[in-house]
Amino acid sequence: MSPLASIFIREARLAWAGGGGAAGPAAFFLAAITLAPLAIGPAPDLLAAIAAGIMSFAALLSVLQSADRLFGDDHGDGTAELYLLSGVTPVWLVLAKVMGQAAATLWPMPAIGLVGALMYGVPIGPALVGALALLAAIPALALIAGFAGALAAGIRRSGLLIALIATPMMVPVLIFAAGAGRSAFDGDERALANLMLTLAVSLGTTALAPFGIAAALRSRLG
Amino acid sequence: MSNETLIFPDMPALSPETLRVSGLELARGELTLVRDFDLEVAPGQAVLMSGPNGTGKTTLLRAIAGFIRPEAGKVRFGEQSVATAAPDMLAWLGHADGLKPGETPRQALRFWAEMAGQPSRPVLPLMRAMAIESLIDRPVARLSRGQQRRTAMVRVALANRPIWLLDEPAGPLDGGGRARLAELVAWHRSRGGSVIAATHQLLDWPDAIRIDLGAHR
Repeated sequence: MSPLASIFIREARLAWAGGGGAAGPAAFFLAAITLAPLAIGPAPDLLAAIAAGIMSFAALLSVLQSADRLFGDDHGDGTAELYLLSGVTPVWLVLAKVMGQAAATLWPMPAIGLVGALMYGVPIGPALVGALALLAAIPALALIAGFAGALAAGIRRSGLLIALIATPMMVPVLIFAAGAGRSAFDGDERALANLMLTLAVSLGTTALAPFGIAAALRSRLG
Repeated sequence: MSNETLIFPDMPALSPETLRVSGLELARGELTLVRDFDLEVAPGQAVLMSGPNGTGKTTLLRAIAGFIRPEAGKVRFGEQSVATAAPDMLAWLGHADGLKPGETPRQALRFWAEMAGQPSRPVLPLMRAMAIESLIDRPVARLSRGQQRRTAMVRVALANRPIWLLDEPAGPLDGGGRARLAELVAWHRSRGGSVIAATHQLLDWPDAIRIDLGAHR
């Protein structure tokens, strides 16, 4: 097996072994979308209209929930040095790590988003578009959270710093992902465009973020 | 333990190089830790660095490994620089063992063998040499500090790199562990490998070069 495949698989395994895998982000996501209607009030039309926004917003916050562990743990337990000496190109290494963790922890997100939208009274078609948008947003959200986590690696109570770094960077993907679901609900042809833009942000982040993460980790070791 | 000979596995031959540190200057903030530090470690040699806390033993090891940039000076492996050669030359043991609490030694060691491009066959013989083979499937969280250190030493040996950099390798080890560590190091040196260790303990490694870093301020 290639080193990158080993890293991907190990990261997925560690996410299960150490953090309950998908349970953490999924529980957070479910709690947020269950509580929101209680605060907003029983207005079916209103809930259906805001469903796409609530789903994207809750998904974003649930991704941040485990962001401090991905690189913070490596920094604390000496793994970061070993990775640096492994000879694997850091940019590929961090990409494999982030994607391994995302694959293990974020896979229920589109499904929860779909069921949540149906619960809010969104018809199946637009709800599916919203779920697709969440799926397309996963790489961007995971990599931005990873970048913030790498910058804050080794800092105590890094959660605050991570939230402050990551949330502004997540604005574009939030706007496009929520926009896709909303436009689909309104029967607007911009849904596809928004979906494509979500995917574009994810691809752009995949191309750029690993360089930032690798540089951040390098500087945290110095 | 002393009259029992440890059996070490056959591993692919090392390609030893001489480590040369020249004119090294290291600082922590405003404080200069070492200045004009020279060191040459030939294949088969061992260096034991001692010195009071805060004299820069760990910093020196990290500079040799290329984790930090020295204020001045060079580190070379034969003809190659740290930046290009470190992954092929060095095996690292830091303060922390580089183990994950949820992983078993078997999973962790196989992973690191793969990362180093080495076979995982020697995992069990090396664990036996460190007397921890019965713990191979126990999660790291349930190992003692000393057992974790022994596991980390197996990881170092498994990488099959010619130069070992060890930061307090014997820290949490008991007498038996220190004896096995000494045998592991002797085996590595007999294959042409070299070792640089920072330590507070009196390690009885034959013909080791002893450096008191406190004298290099």
